[in-house]
Amino acid sequence: MTLIDHASIKPAAAPAKTNSIEQIRYGCAIGAQQTVAAIPRAIPITHCGPGCTDKQFMNLSFYNGFQGGGYGGGAVIPSTNASEREVIFGGGERLDELIDAALKILDADLFVVLTGCISDLVGDDIGGVVSPYQKRGVPIVYAETGGFRGNNFTGHELVTRAIIDQHVGPYEGTRDADLVNVWSLLPYHNTFWRGDLTEIKRVLEGVGLRVNILFGPESKGISEWKAIPKAAFNIVLGPWLGVATARHLEAKYGQPFLHVPALPIGANATTAFLRQVLAFAGRKRRSARAEAFIAEEEARYYKYLEDFSDFYAEYWWGLPAKFAVVGDATYNLALTNFLVNQLGLIPGKQIITDNPPEEFRAGIVEHYRHIADDVSTDVEFEEDSYTIHQKLRATDFGHKAPIIFGTTWERDLAKELKGAIVEVGFPTSYEVVLSRSYVGYRGALTLLEKIYTTTVGASA
Amino acid sequence: MAKKTKQIAIYGKGGIGKSTTTSNISAALAEAGYKVMQFGCDPKADSTNTLRGGDYIPTVLDLLHANSSVDAHDAIFKGFGGIYCVEAGGPQPGVGCAGRGIISAVQLLKQQDIFEELDLDFVIFDVLGDVVCGGFAVPVREGIAEHVFTISSSDFMAIYAANNLFRGIQTYSNKGGALLGGVIANSINTDFHHEIIDDFVGRTATQVVEYVPRSVTVTQAELSGRTTIEAAPKSEQASIYRRLATRIAEHTQSKVPTPLGQQELREWSASWADRLIEAENQRERAIQVA
Repeated sequence: MTLIDHASIKPAAAPAKTNSIEQIRYGCAIGAQQTVAAIPRAIPITHCGPGCTDKQFMNLSFYNGFQGGGYGGGAVIPSTNASEREVIFGGGERLDELIDAALKILDADLFVVLTGCISDLVGDDIGGVVSPYQKRGVPIVYAETGGFRGNNFTGHELVTRAIIDQHVGPYEGTRDADLVNVWSLLPYHNTFWRGDLTEIKRVLEGVGLRVNILFGPESKGISEWKAIPKAAFNIVLGPWLGVATARHLEAKYGQPFLHVPALPIGANATTAFLRQVLAFAGRKRRSARAEAFIAEEEARYYKYLEDFSDFYAEYWWGLPAKFAVVGDATYNLALTNFLVNQLGLIPGKQIITDNPPEEFRAGIVEHYRHIADDVSTDVEFEEDSYTIHQKLRATDFGHKAPIIFGTTWERDLAKELKGAIVEVGFPTSYEVVLSRSYVGYRGALTLLEKIYTTTVGASA
Repeated sequence: MAKKTKQIAIYGKGGIGKSTTTSNISAALAEAGYKVMQFGCDPKADSTNTLRGGDYIPTVLDLLHANSSVDAHDAIFKGFGGIYCVEAGGPQPGVGCAGRGIISAVQLLKQQDIFEELDLDFVIFDVLGDVVCGGFAVPVREGIAEHVFTISSSDFMAIYAANNLFRGIQTYSNKGGALLGGVIANSINTDFHHEIIDDFVGRTATQVVEYVPRSVTVTQAELSGRTTIEAAPKSEQASIYRRLATRIAEHTQSKVPTPLGQQELREWSASWADRLIEAENQRERAIQVA
């Protein structure tokens, strides 16, 4: 009989925090060029070294659902391609030349100048270059987005604020009680943002609101941005991104905001979200239109769910019971919520990868602690894929193969764990994503299809 | 076989007499028959003025700004005694990165093998005061200068700058960087000046290479756009500069200094300030008694 050394087969202990990141899960601040590209008829102008713009585009848009360049993104983006000359003598003149040339050949409702590390380190006076154009009435703003300022989430908030402060400007007029602004998913970085924002707009309009969705195909572009101060309030839909913007709008325009940390997936969560919004809007009396919309959406949703339940009940032996989610805070919380509350799956490991600001972390953890009436789970914050994978390896998923909601970086690991993988975040390099959505009433059904097609497909 | 060019960097607080002293060293070396290049590493680009009758020369960075490729020869101008004068130059004040400019200017000459081609005996880098960023540390770093000298008066701010330079040298000393040759004590006219500077070099494990007094001869020479060596070759001041140049030419062994810590430096300067005040009081009492 062989003696088994139990110590040697114990799952590896969680590794110590490393000082490096392998397999990145975000871009740098100038990746917010994609925030600009997400606004219809807006064009970014980048003042950075050669390679920055292309790399951010290829990462955040191409190898992430193959989302395309759009009207003003991708190969359209004019860049100074700053070299040693711009380092030594400053790049102001070169940028001025580029803006002047861009105005001659590009047609946009708004240009946004984004700076990279070179300019921010050398200290180019970008305001000094851009403000003469602004004084001439050219629709142009600038944001200093050198990579050392943070990731593309940080860049997104810098760009958003730049547009509000430099282009939307002061507002003294009245508010429109039916109009709301939505601050939610990070465009492009979240692979499904186009479909998701479309669904969020659809359901809010369904209950009688009008929506400045601000980004994506359903946005009316800059005219919508100009109408931001007219909205009755702001909705921040996600655990942290957008809160800084909403606070700024509150200070600037006295506009209140409703913070809903969990992006709703499925009828239960979506209906609750809509009722919360309606209550915040001060609609005490339930409007017949809103209730009719909710009833109709729920009826359709549950009809499909009823059909799905045949499969779900009968195929139990082939379906995963425990899951892991690795991704940005917004999708991570939304998915965990849905999987636990709607599908009854057991949370195995949740890892948030977008480096949320410290002030939000304790609050985010609380949501996981109370994810359902009878389920409490935990969440970790980690950006390095080596560490993330070590943590997943060390997780006890029970005797059944787990399902991992993650990114392309988890593909090999899923094979190693003999589990299923659903790519739900950056980078999603093995999915072509157009209008697909995983949120709201309709997106939840698509998500169910995706999850269980992946699972049953694995046995073929 | 090509001879080895001796590369020297001279640092010091702005306004301490760096360019004046450097130009006089260059002039004295040229007079002694050496082939010398003086390389100004200050965006003000006035290091070599007194070697060229007060003239400014186009800088390396002027040329780089105007052209995509530059022949380094276009940035080299002959001055007194055949000294090759080069100014790195820099961006206009408040714009761009002067430190990177110094790096690029020095690299341009190195890439085109200018030092070897001109068969130089000495290259003397005259570098702007404080080592504020990596660019100004270039001559200290590997492969540029071998010996660093710092010019300091007994003024505390000048000594602070020298001490900062020592810290820079210490940082690069174990990475093949230049070592410290010593301190050129400038504007040293009283015993007190001597004592302060001697105390500082003692504490930082270095030496004074030469004591250079303040002299009106230097000012007169400068106003005529010349070095003292050129304008007043027979003066006592000229002989001091020649002695300094000879010491630098003969200098072979540089060392790692032991800079004072921030607090140590403060306490040290405070103790000297106390002694200065006491000496001043004694002098006044003596006058009153008389």
